[in-house]
Amino acid sequence: MPALSRQRLDRLSGAVPFFMALVGWLLLSKFGNLPEYMLPPLSQMWVRFTDGLVDGSLLRHVGGSLYRLAISFLIGNGLAIPLGIAIAMNRHVSDLLRPTLTFFQSIAGIAWVPLAIIWFGIGMGSVVFVISNTIFFGAIYSTVIGVQTIPKTLHRAVLCHGAKGLQVFTELILPGALVQIILGLRTSMAYGWRALVAGEMIAGSSGLGYMTIEAVQWYQTDTVIMGMILVGLLWLMLDRVLFAPLERRTVARWGLLQR
Amino acid sequence: MSADAASLSLSIRAPGVLQRLLPGRVLRGVLGLVLILVAWQVSVPLIGLPDYFYPSALAVWVAFLDLIRKGILPVYVGDSLWRYGAGVSLGTLIGVTLGLLISLNRALARLLAPLINFLYAIVEVAWIPLFVIWWGYGIKAILVSLIYVVVFPVLYNTIVGIRTVPQVYVNAVRSLGGSRLQVIREVLLPAALPNIITGFRVGAGFAFRGLIFAEMIAAKTGLGYLIFEGTAHHQTARTIVGMICMGVLWLFIDNVYLKPFERATVERWGTVVSAEDRG
Repeated sequence: MPALSRQRLDRLSGAVPFFMALVGWLLLSKFGNLPEYMLPPLSQMWVRFTDGLVDGSLLRHVGGSLYRLAISFLIGNGLAIPLGIAIAMNRHVSDLLRPTLTFFQSIAGIAWVPLAIIWFGIGMGSVVFVISNTIFFGAIYSTVIGVQTIPKTLHRAVLCHGAKGLQVFTELILPGALVQIILGLRTSMAYGWRALVAGEMIAGSSGLGYMTIEAVQWYQTDTVIMGMILVGLLWLMLDRVLFAPLERRTVARWGLLQR
Repeated sequence: MSADAASLSLSIRAPGVLQRLLPGRVLRGVLGLVLILVAWQVSVPLIGLPDYFYPSALAVWVAFLDLIRKGILPVYVGDSLWRYGAGVSLGTLIGVTLGLLISLNRALARLLAPLINFLYAIVEVAWIPLFVIWWGYGIKAILVSLIYVVVFPVLYNTIVGIRTVPQVYVNAVRSLGGSRLQVIREVLLPAALPNIITGFRVGAGFAFRGLIFAEMIAAKTGLGYLIFEGTAHHQTARTIVGMICMGVLWLFIDNVYLKPFERATVERWGTVVSAEDRG
């Protein structure tokens, strides 16, 4: 199986730039004469990381962030997808609401943080509101688009064959809009993730974003960098574990992705 | 891998809403906005919350006029636009150049791909604290974070675009006596252009929100600062003015600059035509 060994080789060689970056970091912090707050030595990063693990604060922050993200994802999509389908099924209603949705989608997210603080105070409520808001408007917009771009001919064909009420919904609307809905899930999650980190920085009382921005006050650059690395790793995990397989199984399989 | 980029762009590049709107539809859409505004205005006395908690539409309008009269809003919008334009164009330039350099060498591209992926995954929002530590609160941190947001989608898509150019095209131009530079100009760039534009669109979209956030944290002017400062002084109406301006500005940028730009370049340069057409 030559393909497999090639892949393995790629994976091995992919580690090289990371390794070099680490070596560069090590050299720079040793001989670069930079103050510690600009580039903390690697050993200190390690100490900070293990300390965080041992006293449980690191897991608490990561867990808190993921928990808020999961709740908001459920709230946002749970509201947006049914509502989006309902709106899109009636042409008049959807014409009426589409510019409004476009508008709200373009301000969704981070910009709501200050208002959220006034409404819900600093902490969990604000952060969840901001992320749900981001996910809601991302998802509802693509749901409406998805339903509305189902070709009219398909609609007529389904009706011609005598489909009624619920059947139109299960045989036409849902499968027809599914691709857009799934693409919307992923995009809104990408925006939601940013909103989570940003929201926690301004309005949070725990979580990765809060941990990072708190560390700035004390010039704990090691904690800041650790937070960044975790943000990157967690997003890759979310994307790989949740969305890539979902999309492979649905969107790509039905041949709707343009490559 | 190209699936990631394509899927993002597909959903962001939602069908050209404006061109497909018929007159009747526009009217209905406007009616929808007006209804929302009226409902907002009417709901304020009904709910009876303090003004800083839930300002009325009218109060927001007054705040808007006030901000214009005092000359604050035009200056802030100008500052935001300037930062955005500079960040996005610098980021695109750096992204395309790096992408070209990296993908000229296949082995190098393969070597660096995981690192680029990883850096792409660390959203700019997470970098801002570090930038603030390095360069303090101010324009430098904002600009760098904007450049950062744009560079990675552009870089990533440039590499993907160039990697998927069929080797036959390169060989064809080569065997006709094309130099390395000509291969880049006549084959690689035009063929990768749709991907590059896709990356640009994704980056430009994220960058706008990134700008607002960066201004909340690290600026003393700009729309993000207006949104943030308003609530700090219980001038919630100002915050909402800032949010509405942000939305209008984004729709304007997106519909007037980005979408037509995308159409013009992708259509004109098309994937395959350019080599013979312009030869």
